Amino acid sequence: MITTSSKLLYGLGAGSLAAGFVWFITNEGQQLGSVMFAFLAVAFIFMGAIASYTRDGHILSTDTSAHGSSAAAQKSVGRSLWPFGTAVSAGVTVVGLISSPGIFKVGVALLIAMLAEWMVSNWAERASASNEYNIKVRDYIVHPLELPIAGALLLSVIVLSMSRVFLALDKSAGAIVFAVAGAVILFFGTLIALRRDVNRRVVGGILGVVLLALAGTGVATALDGEREQLVEAAEEDHFAHRGCTEEKEYSDKKASRAVAMKSSVQAAVILSDEGVLYAEVDGYETAQTAITLQRSNPSTILFINETDDARRMVLSYGKVVEDLGGGVEKETALEACTSKVEKGGQQAVTVVIPKPSSASDEPFTITVPGVDGAKIDVFVP
Amino acid sequence: MNNPRRRRVLTLAGIAAGLLTLAGCAKDAPQDTWQPAGPNAEMIDNLQQPVFLVAGIVGVIVMAAVAWAVFRYRDRGQAIPEQTHGKPAIEITLTIIPVLILIGVAIPTTSTIFDLAKTDDTEMVINVTGQQWWWEYDYPAIGDNADKYGLSQPIVTSGQLVIPENTKVLLRVTSRDVIHSYWIPKLNGKKDGVPGRVHLLRLEGSKPGIYAGQCTEFCGLSHSYMRMETIVLKRADFDVWVANQLAPYESPAEGTLAKEGESLYIQQCSRCHQVNGLADAEGNLIVSAPEQYVVSGAAPNLTNLMTRITFAGASWDLLTQQCRDDVWKASANEFGAKYLSGVSADCLNQKDLREWLRNSPEKKPMYVDPTKLQETNGKYRGMPALGLTEDQIDALVAYLLERK
Ligand code: HEC
Ligand SMILES: [Cu+2]
Repeated sequence: MITTSSKLLYGLGAGSLAAGFVWFITNEGQQLGSVMFAFLAVAFIFMGAIASYTRDGHILSTDTSAHGSSAAAQKSVGRSLWPFGTAVSAGVTVVGLISSPGIFKVGVALLIAMLAEWMVSNWAERASASNEYNIKVRDYIVHPLELPIAGALLLSVIVLSMSRVFLALDKSAGAIVFAVAGAVILFFGTLIALRRDVNRRVVGGILGVVLLALAGTGVATALDGEREQLVEAAEEDHFAHRGCTEEKEYSDKKASRAVAMKSSVQAAVILSDEGVLYAEVDGYETAQTAITLQRSNPSTILFINETDDARRMVLSYGKVVEDLGGGVEKETALEACTSKVEKGGQQAVTVVIPKPSSASDEPFTITVPGVDGAKIDVFVP
Repeated sequence: MNNPRRRRVLTLAGIAAGLLTLAGCAKDAPQDTWQPAGPNAEMIDNLQQPVFLVAGIVGVIVMAAVAWAVFRYRDRGQAIPEQTHGKPAIEITLTIIPVLILIGVAIPTTSTIFDLAKTDDTEMVINVTGQQWWWEYDYPAIGDNADKYGLSQPIVTSGQLVIPENTKVLLRVTSRDVIHSYWIPKLNGKKDGVPGRVHLLRLEGSKPGIYAGQCTEFCGLSHSYMRMETIVLKRADFDVWVANQLAPYESPAEGTLAKEGESLYIQQCSRCHQVNGLADAEGNLIVSAPEQYVVSGAAPNLTNLMTRITFAGASWDLLTQQCRDDVWKASANEFGAKYLSGVSADCLNQKDLREWLRNSPEKKPMYVDPTKLQETNGKYRGMPALGLTEDQIDALVAYLLERK
């Protein structure tokens, strides 16, 4: 017998079959798609058959005892948000298809979430004859997923908004604003905690308003852009100062991002407080005035400045001659530099030297501009 | 023991255990940590023997106790005995005994670890660089290497690491691409070669010979073909080896097949492989540029290819079986001279070398399909097939034979 729901399932089954045929004809030699559609069709038809057999789960009219207790006899469930959500997600997905992969991915994620929620709700609404129990099973299944995700979303809104505010505010102003904000939160938190009979709604309301305010400020500051210094620093390539040109204002002196890079270096080159340059190399017990770097091997060298003046380390490894045509040649010295390092500071550079030092007219060296006689020989075999 | 079936099962189990034990007595076991050939490996062996003994005894006792309990208290339909909770005396004893055993094991373990990490008595430093799928060694020409071992210039070689006997050699192990691991089981434990890092590994061999090893960190397609050998030579032999590695380049005589091979080599191979001292027609030294063609930026230095007796990640012999056995099985006294004689025309394993030149990726799987190199900007992982003719291969083999 063809019941209401089996109609849908049989229809889907027939559709899949047809799609399988179309696939087979249009994608000659590629049967995987048709096999998948065939599987789909089998699955749909199987479910359709079950629906037919159980008559969509309706009970027989002759079975009077079940009239009051069957699922179908229960009061209908409330309105569901999920179809609406699914439609919106589908919309987002389509918009994403046209505009940007990022939005598309968000759309697909939303779509999956909405469909999952819809499926679970739908199933739970029919799980038993008792409405109360149905709500309980739904929560039981969905909460372990829903709650952490909602929490994470909430947290990311907070973190994102706060960080936008930090990036927009002046360095010192930011510290003050958040110290004050922290104090205020602590104060009200204490107040609320000390009173026993606070209304949950009041607390919820306050938190909601605060959250909205925070998110609002976050969006506003994000639109306004980061503070001037950060913009400039980004333009001059803040953390990646590797060139030997004039040093810019914001190039990173502390190189705090490079902890891992500095943990095991090919050599540490040290300018002692007497202005003597030497190298400490893992595997050698004594201070070295010459180091060997493997050819073509990314090698990190750490520079430590112990003098009072800010200094930089320069690694020179020959030159390249470019043929510009018409007998004109352009020579470029190959150099790698740290940024200037204050007393006690450290800076690392990573270089890859592709040619052996023996193939160069000039020796490869490490020097410190402004310090006479500070020189370490570099050999590349 | 009068049940014939039980007896049969026991006999079979006994035979299986016996066979397993016998399998441990393999005669030709070049990579056996239980046969140390140097002080570092001996330290490890001296630690693991007693630890293994202790673990073995404990294991046997535990197994026996379990077996006894299972047998003694098997279900014979008797009543369930009275159930009690815990027996503090037994529990405390059975906690303290293992703690004491573990402390007993930990003390020598820790001190061995520190002994193995000692580097202040180093006599020679060698850089070891792993790449897919071979090891490169370079001997820096600085410090003691230059002062005491006559290294006026750096030496770059691959596959076979040559070290002097009874010398505390310190390897500075790193990698140009992915993580590899250097392990010569008869000489020391293993050390990972990690890109951007330098790890130290002591090696010392107390008897001349060849000590085999294998990369022990899975590193991609041809990991299993990434082998290496450490060659221990008497000091006098080592000096001969160094002098030979540093000897100036000799171009083949005019008009020979090898001379033809040289110009072919310049056309086909010199962009990746360095041969020190090789010059072009105008007399300019040729500097290879593997960084333009190979992902890890290097290819083996072929200056003295025929002084090593294996190639391509020490995976194939450059010597015929008979000549190979002659070197590998030589006594400690004769070994040096045999190794130093390198690969002669009569001893050359033509088959594998020619197969390599004919189609290297077929011999050793490598990522060299020109149509699939988008991800690496057209660079190879390994050596590509070069489509050489048999005549070209003849000439190249003749040329390579003189690289010693
Ligand atoms: C595109 C770069 C490239 C070119 C060109 C090239 N090779 Fe190679 N070759 C390699 C690489 C990389 C290896 C290391 C392969 C391995 O063992 O995994 C190698 C390995 C070898 C080895 C083994 C060396 C050793 O010490 O183990 C020999 C011999 C060799 N090549 C010969 C040649 C000859 C002869 C030519 C010219 C006909 C040539 N190669 C051209 C990249 C190249
Ligand atoms: Cu490896």
